Amino acid sequence: MPKRHLFASNTYRSPLLLRIRRSLGATTIAACVAFGTTAVSKPAKAQEIQLTGPLAGAPSVRKARLYREGRLELAVGPGFTLLDEYQRTIFVSGRLQYNLFDWLGIGVFGGVAAANLDTDLTDKINSTAPRNSRTAINLPGQGQGSFADQTGKLKWMAAPQITFSPFRGKLALFQKLFVDTDLYIHGGAAFIGVDERGDCSPDHCTSATPGAFNTKSRVAVAPTFGLGLTFYLASFISLNIEYRALPFSWNRSGFDTRGGGPNASFPDNQINSEDRTFKFNQMVFVGAGFYLPAKTKLTD
Amino acid sequence: MKQARYWLLLAATMLLPQVALAQPLAQARRPAPTRPAPPAAPTPAPAPPPGSPASPAPPAQGSPAGEIELDEPKPEGEKPPADANQGSVPPANAAAGICEVDPSACPKQADISNMAQREVQADVYAVQQIYALRRHRFELLPYWSFSFNDQFVTHQGPGLGINYYLTNVLAIGINGTFYQPFNHDSDFNFENRRATRLAVPLNEYQAGGTVNFTYVPMYGKFSGFSKFIFHYDGFVTGGVGALRTRPIAVIDPDNRKFDYDWRLAMSVGLGLRVFLNRWFAVTAELRDYIYVERLENTEVVTGQETNQSTWYGNKQLTNDIQAQVGISVFLPFSWEYRLPK
Repeated sequence: MPKRHLFASNTYRSPLLLRIRRSLGATTIAACVAFGTTAVSKPAKAQEIQLTGPLAGAPSVRKARLYREGRLELAVGPGFTLLDEYQRTIFVSGRLQYNLFDWLGIGVFGGVAAANLDTDLTDKINSTAPRNSRTAINLPGQGQGSFADQTGKLKWMAAPQITFSPFRGKLALFQKLFVDTDLYIHGGAAFIGVDERGDCSPDHCTSATPGAFNTKSRVAVAPTFGLGLTFYLASFISLNIEYRALPFSWNRSGFDTRGGGPNASFPDNQINSEDRTFKFNQMVFVGAGFYLPAKTKLTD
Repeated sequence: MKQARYWLLLAATMLLPQVALAQPLAQARRPAPTRPAPPAAPTPAPAPPPGSPASPAPPAQGSPAGEIELDEPKPEGEKPPADANQGSVPPANAAAGICEVDPSACPKQADISNMAQREVQADVYAVQQIYALRRHRFELLPYWSFSFNDQFVTHQGPGLGINYYLTNVLAIGINGTFYQPFNHDSDFNFENRRATRLAVPLNEYQAGGTVNFTYVPMYGKFSGFSKFIFHYDGFVTGGVGALRTRPIAVIDPDNRKFDYDWRLAMSVGLGLRVFLNRWFAVTAELRDYIYVERLENTEVVTGQETNQSTWYGNKQLTNDIQAQVGISVFLPFSWEYRLPK
């Protein structure tokens, strides 16, 4: 029997040889497929993104509208106090602000009380509280005035402040309306014009003394802070919703509540600064903002 | 011939993956061109920058519609970018292959800088994948509730809400709040009573719960310092449930002692949810529980002090506005998007 070289002759092919060659061929093809799909296709896919993709080389944010930077803002609208005990105040208020950067602005918030509204409690006290020797220092005598007149009222405020706008973005409403939005926090010092019952000494705080229930004005100084949302309806106009806190002590009822007894927590038959109690005053401002220059800058 | 067939098959398998992967990106996803069509006559290509390994680029009209051609000739009058003389190959890993195959297509730093200034052809989907899908997920919402409009007695306490999102914007759920140990009668009430001898009827809550529908019409995102992005949504909610309340005896506390009783309550509210990741969010909500409260009778009927039928006074429609601040945990934690980004 002649000796045959395994791959040299094509004159005779044993079934084993054919099977080996087929399996080698299949293995080669499989290897090529595997190579093609891994080694070849991956660089092609990566280059597609890196070389011809639409965002290749683009900055992370393009043409961002700078609504604040370098612009003067005037926002006007009503302000409403919250959680009032005796008087609610509606301010005609506004904010004038210059934005040094898109994230930082300086300005002043202010307002004038357009209305002081009695709460239900004030009305009830006025109509049903007994007038006798026990209440004589706290309530005007029958027919000698209204309780509402002696209650403390906020009359005006001016608050130089810094506004910090760390967050800006957009809002989709019903997937139809898209509004550029930013969230800001503000802080500063508030000067608040307060009318509250004037001081009176013992035995001079009842209706027997003329003017014993009159109010006097003073200026209270308080920290002010809060946060707000700005919705930019157009490049030069926005809608503002802002929460503001103004914590300070004042005599909101005009009552003699403190100054005597242990820890000065009992009445002392006189009205003075000791009758002021701490209140975390709060208000909400809703305003329309207008900007100059009217056009926004765009980033690259 | 039979061996040639194998080699042809081998060659086909080598070519096939490149075509299959490259074609959909180049054709199917390319939008129509937004720039004017290139001129019919071939535009002379600019001279290659000194030192550049690339040869002059072919005319732009050879490009498929809308395809971005890195070496596209610049329009007449357009100045070459400042760094044109610094043409260099970007990261070797990225472009080594194409530079070897076709040096003319090898990207230069100048090209990429130039592209950054161009209008982006919006090769992105009109609506990107929503960061956190809600559909068919449960939301666990533990929160703390604060009184927002009651200056006399603050009703606060822990609560838990569970919502199931039927769609991405509509959920049904329940929530409950436990108030009893946390009702706080303000000093202001005592001082007012002492000063005026007038008592204001007060009440306190034990617990409450409602079945709610929640609708999410608003969705947005914020960028913080241009460094990070967080997503948020706004929702409105409404439902019906019950509050268990009772009057605080302030008119005749020596004789009157009230038990808690159920009141039918409606609730409406709105809230804001800020996602910290795809399953965890911080939630703030303002909800008005509207119910009819039975207040203590402000008068004491002489001789009937212990008769319970004389203890209750007027019924009053009450708006109990609560600020609820909590966290949202969405279950399951993860999901698969149905469509690609």
